[in-house]
Amino acid sequence: MSDPSPNLEYIGAATNTTEGSHADEERQTRLWFLESIDLINRTIRGTEDLEQMMSHVLDAVVSIFECDRAWMVYPCDPESQTWRTVMERTSPGLSNSLFLGLDFTMDAEVAHMHRMVRDSETAARFGTGADNPIPGVIAARLTIQTQICVAVYPKIDKPYIFGLDQCRRARNWTRQEQRLFEEIGQRLATLLTSLSMSRDLQESKARLEEAQRVAHVGHYEWNLDANRITWSDELYRIYGLRPQERPMDLATLREMIHPEDRESVFRGAEEALRGEVRPVAEHRIIRPDGEVRIVHGLGTVKRDASGRPYEMFGTVQDITDRKRVEESLQRTQVYLSEGQRLTHTGSWACNLVTKQIFHSSDENARLYGFDPSEGPIPFDRFYSAILAEDEPALRSKLENAIRSGADYDVEFRIRHTDGTIRFMRGIGHHNPSQEIGEYVGITMDITERKDAEEERERLRMLESDLAHINRVNMMGELAAALAHEIKQPIAASITSADACLRWLAHDPPDLERARAAAARIERDGNRAADVINSLRSFYKTGTSAERQLVNIKDIIGEMTVLLRTEAARHSVTIHADLGADVPDILSNQVQLQQVLVNLMLNAIEAMKDTGGEMTIRSRVNPEGQLMISISDTGIGLPAESSERIFEPFHTTKPQGTGMGLTITRSIVESWGGRVWATPNQAAGATFHFTVSGI
Amino acid sequence: MKAGVVPTVFIIDDDRGMRQAVQDLVESVGLRAESFATGQEFLNRQRPSDSSCLVLDVRLPQMSGLDFQRQLAEIGMQIPIIFITAHGDIPMSVRALKSGAVEFLTKPFRDQDLLDAIHQALQRDRAAREEQAQIHDLHERYHALTAREREVMTLVVSGMLSKQIASEMGVSEATVKIHRGNVMQKMQAGSVVELVRMADKLKLSPHK
Repeated sequence: MSDPSPNLEYIGAATNTTEGSHADEERQTRLWFLESIDLINRTIRGTEDLEQMMSHVLDAVVSIFECDRAWMVYPCDPESQTWRTVMERTSPGLSNSLFLGLDFTMDAEVAHMHRMVRDSETAARFGTGADNPIPGVIAARLTIQTQICVAVYPKIDKPYIFGLDQCRRARNWTRQEQRLFEEIGQRLATLLTSLSMSRDLQESKARLEEAQRVAHVGHYEWNLDANRITWSDELYRIYGLRPQERPMDLATLREMIHPEDRESVFRGAEEALRGEVRPVAEHRIIRPDGEVRIVHGLGTVKRDASGRPYEMFGTVQDITDRKRVEESLQRTQVYLSEGQRLTHTGSWACNLVTKQIFHSSDENARLYGFDPSEGPIPFDRFYSAILAEDEPALRSKLENAIRSGADYDVEFRIRHTDGTIRFMRGIGHHNPSQEIGEYVGITMDITERKDAEEERERLRMLESDLAHINRVNMMGELAAALAHEIKQPIAASITSADACLRWLAHDPPDLERARAAAARIERDGNRAADVINSLRSFYKTGTSAERQLVNIKDIIGEMTVLLRTEAARHSVTIHADLGADVPDILSNQVQLQQVLVNLMLNAIEAMKDTGGEMTIRSRVNPEGQLMISISDTGIGLPAESSERIFEPFHTTKPQGTGMGLTITRSIVESWGGRVWATPNQAAGATFHFTVSGI
Repeated sequence: MKAGVVPTVFIIDDDRGMRQAVQDLVESVGLRAESFATGQEFLNRQRPSDSSCLVLDVRLPQMSGLDFQRQLAEIGMQIPIIFITAHGDIPMSVRALKSGAVEFLTKPFRDQDLLDAIHQALQRDRAAREEQAQIHDLHERYHALTAREREVMTLVVSGMLSKQIASEMGVSEATVKIHRGNVMQKMQAGSVVELVRMADKLKLSPHK
């Protein structure tokens, strides 16, 4: 700069002037300056695209200064590792510098150059006639005589270097030229700021779009003056359209809103424009493919100084999925609460130590007889409902559970305010990661179940009573036969005893005959005892399902003894065809006897007018169960369903209770067995029953 | 009881123990005893000519004792019956006794009661047998009479005098007296009263 070249300046000026006076020259130079700035300004305004604008500005610079090359290097930073020529324009006929777009290492010379440019208030010159040479890395590639550079500072980025090259001749820049150059540098700084901001904006916009797409949020602008509606891409997508596929207008929009919501949406918009409400709306839209979506709109109305609205803009979010989740959650909650109501189960979460309740379902309150709409019920109110006589045991169980951090399952009774007593079951679960005493759990009203249990127990007792009555009844029917069965051996042994005494009274006593008589006494005595034993087991009222290993052959033998006389009375003979290998079974002897006697009596009954044969058979069926069959040669099964005979009070006997086969079935089924009847081919019927436990 | 002739007691009871005990008891007092499980077995055996009686269980498998009693009467077998039963009731015992049973004993019974009943039955059997023998004897005497003599006997036992008989028969009174003498002699009757008794036993009808 210390070596200006006024000649060249004059030449440059001369080309643009026709007058030669100094003042005129001054004026010409000033004019040139203004015109150049004006050219730059026009160039800047000529296009909206910032990249293109920069390029045009550099072209204009080359033309204004009649130099060979104008360029921008980034960054102007001696500390940077690399530098790059980001933009370059050359005068026509000159090739590019080969530096454009490439990263070069910041060597010491270039760093020095950058430092000089950065630190200089004004433009710096390099090359011929300047204090500093052109850095070697540049000189090695390009023929440059002179170079003028200035640092350009955009507001939101690192500085650039703006430079001009004069290649074919050395150039001494005039003061005016330098000032213009610096001035253009200022303009470029502004442009770079805009460019950088614009890039950020583009990026932000892209990010916004992306965010909107992800969140299903679109936005709109409604220019009220021009009645022009602008939609973001995502808003088009929300409405099931391709982004920007067609211009949007109110009529189209109206069509797309669900008919039931249309009026309210537009009324809302009008009210918002009148300033009555904020434009907030949740409504349904119908996509072109017919799918209904739910959207939530949130808008703002812009007004001019007079308060007149001129624009409305806002966001629209697709909340269908959220709504559906909400609805499903609501439904789930309804189901849950309905489920709790139906099962009389309440849920809760609380700290039993601090008596703090975190959660208590409505049903939980109802179970205790409280009204859930009254608001939260304190722990002590729940606790005081517990019956005083149940409280100590419950307390001790809860304390134990709390101490060991264990779960608990308790039953207790509560008294409602109206005095009714309810049975409750409480199950609490403690999560070890929670505070001591913190439990979540459920409370169930088990009153009905308790009642049902009692009812079942009562029924069971009744059934067992009935079974007993059945046995007693059978004995009643058999009383005569049984009396005979017992009297016979007793009478025999008494008579034998008499005979024995008489043999002993002989002179000399006939010991042989006496001994034989005594042996018979013992035999008949045992016979009587056996009958009495089998009878006694029959009269037992015991209902215990106690099972022991029983020999089915022995039992059939005993029952045959009991029924022999009764059978004989009706000219019925009893055969047992049991096979050699009848296994012992694990069963209840009394019940087994009862089933056998019921079925055997039934067989005798069927043959009472005709006499006949009863056959008892046993075999092991393919399921591994013992099957016992009792056949008769009697009247056979009734014409109607053979199942009916097992129904209660179905009887053919004038004195029968009609319960025999019913009780038989209930006993057999209590073992998991089955009892059924089949007609015989020749005559009569066969009753079968199975008994497991082999 | 004639020496050397031991009466037999028959026992029918389906219960072997009872059967054996009764048989043993009967044997212990020196009587003969035979026992059967069913009535049929008893009928299959040839009845001895010696005096005997039957101890019969009321409840038998195929046929009740009472029915068996009736069957015996139907086939004309006369044997005194002592019923024994483990299950007696009054109507049953009345029916049995009306049908000629000697005794109706309920098990268990006192041994002496059974033995007494047995003795009574045997006595009755003996008496019956003697009666039977007597009638047999009378029949033989009666068969020895001529037709005229039987005619005269019938008219005599009907209470007619000789003169009336002669008039009835159209013969002389003397002839009637000869026939009458023969009848009294052949029938071994000592008096007209005795002859009337004999005619009763022979079941002679006064008017033929």
